[in-house]
Amino acid sequence: MSTRPLMVWIVLAVLGSPAPAPAQLTREAMVRKSDIIFVGTVTRVGAVAAPDLPASPLTVVVRVDQVLEKPDAVGLVEGDTITVQSVRQGSLKDGMRATFYTTGWIFGDGVAVREVGHEPARAQLAAAMQQDSVARARQKVNDANLRQRIQAASVVAVGRVEEVRPAKLAAAAGHPARISEHDPEWQEAIIQVEEGFKGAQSGQRVVVRFPGSHDVAYVSTPRFAVGQEGTFLLQKDSASGSPLTMMAGQSVPAYTALHQLDVLPKQEGARVRGLMRSP
Amino acid sequence: MRATWISVGIILFAACKPSDKAPPPPPPPPSPPASDHVVVHAQVVDIIPRRLSGETWQDAEPFLSLYASNPNFLAASAFTPNPGGAASGTAPIFVSSNGGTTWSLRNTIPSEVMTADITHAVGRNPRELYAGIMRQPGYPLNELSTPDFLSFVTMTQLSMRNDIDQPFVRAIKSGNAERLYVGLNDFAAPSGRTATVDLSMNGGATFASRRIETRNTVGQNAPSIRPAVAEDGTVYVAYLGWRSAAGSVIQSDVVVARDDHGASGANPFKDLVDPSDHLPGRLVARNVTITWSNAPTLGQERIGSTLSLAVDGLHSDNVYVAWGDRVGNGDIWTVHVRRSTDRGATWSNDVRTLTNATAPSLAVSTNGTVGLLYQQLTGSGSTSRWVTHLDQSRDGFATHQDIILATVPAMTPAFQFLPYLGDYNFLLTRGNKFLGIFSANNTPDSANFPQGVVYQRRVDFATHRLLDRSGAPVAVSIDPFFFSADVLP
Repeated sequence: MSTRPLMVWIVLAVLGSPAPAPAQLTREAMVRKSDIIFVGTVTRVGAVAAPDLPASPLTVVVRVDQVLEKPDAVGLVEGDTITVQSVRQGSLKDGMRATFYTTGWIFGDGVAVREVGHEPARAQLAAAMQQDSVARARQKVNDANLRQRIQAASVVAVGRVEEVRPAKLAAAAGHPARISEHDPEWQEAIIQVEEGFKGAQSGQRVVVRFPGSHDVAYVSTPRFAVGQEGTFLLQKDSASGSPLTMMAGQSVPAYTALHQLDVLPKQEGARVRGLMRSP
Repeated sequence: MRATWISVGIILFAACKPSDKAPPPPPPPPSPPASDHVVVHAQVVDIIPRRLSGETWQDAEPFLSLYASNPNFLAASAFTPNPGGAASGTAPIFVSSNGGTTWSLRNTIPSEVMTADITHAVGRNPRELYAGIMRQPGYPLNELSTPDFLSFVTMTQLSMRNDIDQPFVRAIKSGNAERLYVGLNDFAAPSGRTATVDLSMNGGATFASRRIETRNTVGQNAPSIRPAVAEDGTVYVAYLGWRSAAGSVIQSDVVVARDDHGASGANPFKDLVDPSDHLPGRLVARNVTITWSNAPTLGQERIGSTLSLAVDGLHSDNVYVAWGDRVGNGDIWTVHVRRSTDRGATWSNDVRTLTNATAPSLAVSTNGTVGLLYQQLTGSGSTSRWVTHLDQSRDGFATHQDIILATVPAMTPAFQFLPYLGDYNFLLTRGNKFLGIFSANNTPDSANFPQGVVYQRRVDFATHRLLDRSGAPVAVSIDPFFFSADVLP
């Protein structure tokens, strides 16, 4: 006996029955998971806005009334219609106006997004206020992300790059030097600490390893240049395979700053200090 | 659409003897008369979707998969990020369901934002797709599959391991089974013989790593390991045998191995032995000079591991290999193409030698016509250009016909990362078409695309400007371009 009818029945049953309502996420939680946020009005349920998408009971067509956040590359403006795959069948009804928190899903002639969550939009709320409420939530998310990086860091300091040099790494046992386009080509920056918030004091010098390679694998990794000033969040080096380095004839710990949040402008020092003090 | 072709230079096919003991290859078929030139029509499409008109990324190193079951289905990839940005847990592929006329981007690859390498091949089921990626973060190898490349579900991980480079996926149906061949450079291989093919005889349910290199190396092979599969189950694999190094200058052999039974045995790729040392793996060229440079060297492109292999799918005796090296005559990097008509036993001398070219990709059509896609740097300094060619030949490059798909400024935009255009492009064939993909400067200037070009993203040809959805100017960047060209009859 073929199992196909049974499978189809199961799929239809799953799609056709309303899923239990998920716990409502806070606005910050929705913002954290979203990259496209807009105010819109549901115009069709169980439909799609572009022909290359399959309609399902979860998909709805939404008219975009106001774009609150989106990546620069994405073409989305007021008046567009967009396909939204809802979290839960039946949660988005025809004519409903809401703030949609979403992630990009399909980009072609049209845009399709996956719903993270939504908040009913109050018609009387001014556009600027909608924008402001999302911006404040985004700021909280950004602060929380930065606080995480601060907590994970061994050294947090404002400083200036004095020197950049090639890293001399001890070859790991059993791992001869490799030639690969993805070789990080480790460099070392020596940073003079001007103000230490954590793990370092003013006047101290610390060594930070960073990939000097231009390979695509490191396109988003911070780099250092002589004279560069900044607020630095440094972790002990667990990436290069050689946790120590030499400075002024002494063996010292090597650090890394591989995340984009690990290297901030100097003026962000006050914000970092504030986040360290706040709970 | 304006169709042009550039007239050919006749190159005498100089059959040679790579080894004293090897018999000479058979003479090439007679050349067609000089008047027998066919106008090759080609279509070029910038595959960045309309709704990503504002993107300015360097969408380099493109790759393409075709579905034999449905000519409308295509999948493509490049170093294209998830438009959602740095927090994205998936990377995208491009898909087309109308033969490449329009494309959309779907975030279905399990890698944060982007991959560090990606190739793919179609499976036996009508929409099945396999992929080999270097996953972000940390870039371990992930071998992936999906039963439906058009679906919105993240691809399934079949296997994973660290310390590999440049997975290159090929697949073929064998009876009821799907066979996968993933060429890769495996740094965990013993004795520095890192050239490896991951084999799966069961559609990715299990993989076995087979070491291909049979000779001593300088400590590793080059990153590029290229399998090619014929319909009769013959599998070739090309690799660069790095024998010695002085700094960043490496002396290398160009090697082709072969298995006559789909590499299904316990000790595969031993069916082609070199007469000089009786070891598996025919030495197509010896002691070529590889200049490894992971910095802008050829224009803004890096050089170091350039390799392509193609077998005539219906006549597995016919096989072509292309590689890059430095000849030393003032060149920066030179692409060589050679041919074998006797299952790799003997090889020609260069049938094409292309100075300051890179990213060759070969394919052999069902009528035996061979296609060669490559990119060549011309001029110098601010006036230099990247010229993308599709070269075709019906007679093993004794004669050939060349069309220019794109000729674009080489120094703009400035590189964001390397590779600038890609360590590889890709060329495939289906029916009477060559279908391929390359990356190039995306300035909407008809003069840059002699075959014509179609953009999905918003452009203004009159002012040569890219525009975002609101009509604001967008900076020039590198985009992937799909093309379809007639095969010479």
